[in-house]
Amino acid sequence: MKPAAFQYHQPSSVTEATDLLAEHEHDAELMAGNQSLGIVMANRLATPEHIVDINGVDELDYVDVATERVTIGALTSHRTIETSAALADALPMFPAAAEQIAGPSVRNLGTLGGSVGEADPAGNYPAVLTALDGDLHVASADGERTVAASEYFIAYMFSDLAEDELITGVSVDREPFPAERTGMAFLEQKPAAQTWPTISAAAVIRIDDPDADAPVVEEARLALANAADVPLRVEDAEAAVEGESLVEAPLASAADAASEAAEPGEEMHADAEYKEELAGEYTRRSLETAYERAVDTTDTTTP
Amino acid sequence: MMEFDGEFTSDHPRDDLWNYFTDPAILADCAPGCDEITMESPGELSATITVGVGSVKPTFDVDMTVTRADAPAILEMEVGGDASRNSFEAVTEMCLVEDGDGTTATWEARTNVAGLIASMGQRALGSVAARIVNNFFEDLEAKADEGVPAESKLEAKPEAEASIEN
Repeated sequence: MKPAAFQYHQPSSVTEATDLLAEHEHDAELMAGNQSLGIVMANRLATPEHIVDINGVDELDYVDVATERVTIGALTSHRTIETSAALADALPMFPAAAEQIAGPSVRNLGTLGGSVGEADPAGNYPAVLTALDGDLHVASADGERTVAASEYFIAYMFSDLAEDELITGVSVDREPFPAERTGMAFLEQKPAAQTWPTISAAAVIRIDDPDADAPVVEEARLALANAADVPLRVEDAEAAVEGESLVEAPLASAADAASEAAEPGEEMHADAEYKEELAGEYTRRSLETAYERAVDTTDTTTP
Repeated sequence: MMEFDGEFTSDHPRDDLWNYFTDPAILADCAPGCDEITMESPGELSATITVGVGSVKPTFDVDMTVTRADAPAILEMEVGGDASRNSFEAVTEMCLVEDGDGTTATWEARTNVAGLIASMGQRALGSVAARIVNNFFEDLEAKADEGVPAESKLEAKPEAEASIEN
């Protein structure tokens, strides 16, 4: 099918874009990389009267890795995030998540803001931002505001974003993630290479002392994608490994906590029970990988 | 059938708040996604309300019948909405209770939904409903804070009773 008729707008600044949203509110839809919207428009589940195409808003396409914070513009493509050396050093979970999104053509066009705006609980960045306690920056004709990722995702494809608001970017504080003793992992289970994940797990481990015989976990973060109707932070899994040297027993407790917390929807190829089991297994693997990377970092930095 | 409920506290006295909840112009301004509300009679309203889940945003033609209006304490309505590929019917009840200088509003809704939105399931719809109702109460509280004038115009439709099929 072809989409229903719509009026096409091409703003070149955030102000122009938010003015258009203020004028048309729920009759307007933002378009960034158009890797999801076009599909629901083509089958006429979505029939917006106005499309506000923000690809010309160049000010939103940037990656800024500063000492205190990392800020990424909403219009930054998955490909840019995947290949950013600065991000790989500061918050390697971002490139790891970006490189696993769909295939190369989607990654060239799809954007960070589009994914966060869509708020699909199976999406990669929603889980990343939940795990890293990120902030979303939002603009409207009335001004700007910041909302924590933990407050933003409300239900399946339903977020705190109002009809007249535009996501301008996301930011993450670097203070909890010192590179020399932090490891991150983003692991996906997919039925085929370029499809949506059945379960994804985003894990962070910060250890006390990489030179110790058995480094102890100071802080852990664990978030799952597609395990509930929002990206799911599993604090019980984090608590199971914090204060421990990461051996089999705490990992098993963390996996149990994640299986317990998961409330997945059933899919054609994966029933709920299977997804709960996957949630546990991917929690175990991602925490273990993150721990190994936290310990390993120092092996490469100390002579 | 799905059931939702919630609570909201207001700094305003119950008698004042009642006027806001029963003034169609205030309701039209505060209801998220509401373009217009028409008062067909003191006991009947019609409205168009858009509810968006992602880029899927059905616009419902909504009919509301006031089945109980005991000023300033209880407002009960029967609500039905139709949109392309979606529909719902609901019975909603709101109770206003004096709470010091302010008011506590408790609400509950029993609803049947059909179509695309029904496939979201109770938990997801519950989060969405809670969010929409909270935004509504917050906007209405802001109107009261600003001192926007409100006039109670709704009353129960004679002999109307709220009912919903199980």
